[in-house]
Amino acid sequence: MAEEQPIGSILLVDCGTVMTRATLLEQVAGQYRLVARGEAPTTVEYPWSDIAAGIRHAVEHISVSTGRRFFEPSGDLITPQLRRQQGVDAFAATVSASQPLQVVLAGLVRDLSVASAERAAAGTYSTIKAILASDGRDGGQSEGENVHTICDAAPDVICIAGGVEGGAAEPVLSLVETATLASSLIEQSARPRLLFAGNSRLRQRVVQMVSKRAELSVADNVRPTRTEETLLSAQAELDELYVQEKLERLPGFETVSKWSAVAPKPTARAFGQLVQYLWRLGDGSKGILGIDVGAASTTVAAVFDGRLFTTIRGDLGVTFGGEGMIQEHGAETVTRWLPEPVSADEAHGVLINKEIHPTSIPQDVHELWLDQALAREAIRTTLELARPGWEPGAAQPYPHLLPLCDTIVVGGSVLAHAPRPGQAALTVLDALEPIGVSTLVLDAHGLAPALGIVAEVKPLAAVEVLDSGAFVNLATVVAPVGRARRGETILKVHVTYDEGKFSAEIGYGDLEVLPLPPGQQAVLELRPLHNFDVGLGGPGKAGKLRVNGGLAGLIIDARGRPLHIPGNTEQRQSQMQQWLWDVGG
Amino acid sequence: MYYPFETQVTPLTIVRRRRMLPAPGTVEVRIGDQVEPPQVIARAKLPGDFRIVPVARLLDVPASRVKRYIRVKPGDDVREGQVIAKRGRLFASTVTSPFDGMVTASGGGRILIEAHPTPFDLRAHMYGTVSNVLQQHGQYYGVVIETAGAVVQGAWGAGEESFGVLKCLAETPSDLLEAEAIDPASHGTILVGGRGLSDAALERAQQLQVRGIVVGGLSPELVPQAEQLPFPIIVTEGIGAVPMSGPIFRLLTKNDGREASVNGHMQTRWGIMRPEVIIPMPADTVPPAERQPGAPLGIGARVRLVRKPHAGKVGTVVALPVHARQIETGIRVHGAEVDVGQEAPIFAPLANVEVLC
Repeated sequence: MAEEQPIGSILLVDCGTVMTRATLLEQVAGQYRLVARGEAPTTVEYPWSDIAAGIRHAVEHISVSTGRRFFEPSGDLITPQLRRQQGVDAFAATVSASQPLQVVLAGLVRDLSVASAERAAAGTYSTIKAILASDGRDGGQSEGENVHTICDAAPDVICIAGGVEGGAAEPVLSLVETATLASSLIEQSARPRLLFAGNSRLRQRVVQMVSKRAELSVADNVRPTRTEETLLSAQAELDELYVQEKLERLPGFETVSKWSAVAPKPTARAFGQLVQYLWRLGDGSKGILGIDVGAASTTVAAVFDGRLFTTIRGDLGVTFGGEGMIQEHGAETVTRWLPEPVSADEAHGVLINKEIHPTSIPQDVHELWLDQALAREAIRTTLELARPGWEPGAAQPYPHLLPLCDTIVVGGSVLAHAPRPGQAALTVLDALEPIGVSTLVLDAHGLAPALGIVAEVKPLAAVEVLDSGAFVNLATVVAPVGRARRGETILKVHVTYDEGKFSAEIGYGDLEVLPLPPGQQAVLELRPLHNFDVGLGGPGKAGKLRVNGGLAGLIIDARGRPLHIPGNTEQRQSQMQQWLWDVGG
Repeated sequence: MYYPFETQVTPLTIVRRRRMLPAPGTVEVRIGDQVEPPQVIARAKLPGDFRIVPVARLLDVPASRVKRYIRVKPGDDVREGQVIAKRGRLFASTVTSPFDGMVTASGGGRILIEAHPTPFDLRAHMYGTVSNVLQQHGQYYGVVIETAGAVVQGAWGAGEESFGVLKCLAETPSDLLEAEAIDPASHGTILVGGRGLSDAALERAQQLQVRGIVVGGLSPELVPQAEQLPFPIIVTEGIGAVPMSGPIFRLLTKNDGREASVNGHMQTRWGIMRPEVIIPMPADTVPPAERQPGAPLGIGARVRLVRKPHAGKVGTVVALPVHARQIETGIRVHGAEVDVGQEAPIFAPLANVEVLC
């Protein structure tokens, strides 16, 4: 997309692992509007083996509803727009349909350099195949065992971290030697690349050691001191590697690339750009959070003080990865969120069947709840990985809780297609446990990643599309922080609508929904108990603020932070049922 | 237009299957050759095990001084027990090779020994004719075998490839395969059951060394066991007690007693592989496929429903309503009306419909 040329229509596409979504934006009365959208299964596999086919299928739906022709008989996109109803002026695509980068991490200390390397790898679509830590936390393997571990993992890249700046050289060099040796033992066509992101003073020696035995890249030390973390350089290297080794090798990628001046981007990277853009549009004092729960991956993008932190679990989504998770951590990690009893075997069976039929959707309400339960765990797990890498500054009044977030953008089919908005809102609240006052914004059409590209090249179009209702407010949430006896009044709420007023007293443990539909605003007066903090400056601080309505209304989540989930199975299920009723789910 | 997921359930078609070596090697057949299941069609040598021998540590000398004690150099063949490093004369410390192999690297006080490559034989695993020999840059890596026959793709599978005679032990698609039904005559056969099988049946099948099992469903608690079986298992509908769908059951029972190839290997993404049963048939001509792969869903298509409450039901699409409708969960979706032989057609989300072709 060239900024200089007039752009009357934009076709945006996101090729996910399971579904491909297309959206047409068009200037109507001088403003960009979402005109039509369509979706179809992604076509990486037989009989198509071409991602362009899935794009054409998704765009067919737009053709039907608009009468516009998008493709030449040859299958090429008509661009720029020839005349009305033929082609589009611009096209942009985001892609996450490829296999994640397979990574082996090696470092000195599991909780320091290896943890930082893990967060660097999570900046792109990756799967950690093995971790080698010299501190023996992972079993203290011999060099031979480590070489075997790497060879068995058959990674695309071995990321070596370790050694604070100027620290000990030998243990780091020993890891480099192990990685080089393992790499040289793997058949040439599958030989992994090495990424050195450790003590930068050893770079020259590392380059000499590796020499021609393996391909080597270097990045800034991910852990230059015990307390500092610098991930950007390593993340950029790994992201680039993902694009080269995985994305660009997707069948049909080249065809799709030719349709646009802007190369297709990894979905999560574009999603992060959009979240960062939204932060710039906001007041900036708090953070902003973006959550995208995909079929095969989960992305958390957070922005604090303008800095973007993107974290991806490339192996965990609501279709793929759930079975692996319950195998590793037990079915209760997922079934604990269900309002009715479901056995571990039953859950296991459903999750396997979902992988067998990835495009399918739940028709049975129990299977729907299982999807939403899995989404909670996918978000929580990704958040756990992400949070130690954040630098939220003043937005984090309580280190053990989520920082204050002004806006939380949530997307992914499991949330966007939840039958009731309350279900989507509750899924997000349970997973994130936000504090203070936040607005939950739902990316109902899966537009966020593609708008991330638009925001980069044509910011005005992004703003106009956002203003035109591409995103919908899911709810405004007030979540007080503090401790009290269950049922004790901790917050007095006065809501002043355009026509009328409403007051409520909120007890500790309550989950209340006050009516405030989308498009309406109200003045919210919050008077918390002296030891409760609603994000208005500290415990006991009261205040007034104007808030927006949402599909699920105005939610007062006084269940406490961190969220307490009863250990007793029956009590827990009854509690889950109660919360579901409370939010109208 | 909706482009649904497809499952092949075909009584007669031309089947072409790639048989691939795990590494480049030699091909033992030529285009046009007739092959049989146990026949070796290609061979390769796979890299052997390797061992890093920490010579300096074992001889208790610094790595910088160990070179003088090492008796081998990269490229040397070594035998198991052969001295590869020695220090001292009387009461000498020695280091020996852990296995037969070759010294491939030495440095840093260590010696890397790689075992000799392991020979790998690729078998045809099906009757057919070699229609292509696959090579790239002068290296051979597999062949394509072609045959006329029936094909049934499964939903879930475990195990590798096998070949044997189909032995149907179910009278209806809803029968559960019990241990008592598996008699000694089942030895070496591929068992066909109905909606699933019991734990005891699984054990009995192992005892009698069957060559494979094909069932409609599989109880989730049996999945770990099924994944460890010494023979392939193919589940045609999915995990759970799901009766085998009618067309698949009829096709398999009709071919009771025929030889079949089964492959339990599955991969659900990034190179999807479906478990399958191939039943070679003598046929001079094969009728053209009624439906091209990848065609959009249309009225008259034979489909299977894949999610509860209709999982496993097979029917014909009788209408594709223009407008979305509400389903059991409360969401509104586009769907198909499918005649499954009940009083009224079932409305199923398009996402939950797959075409049987």
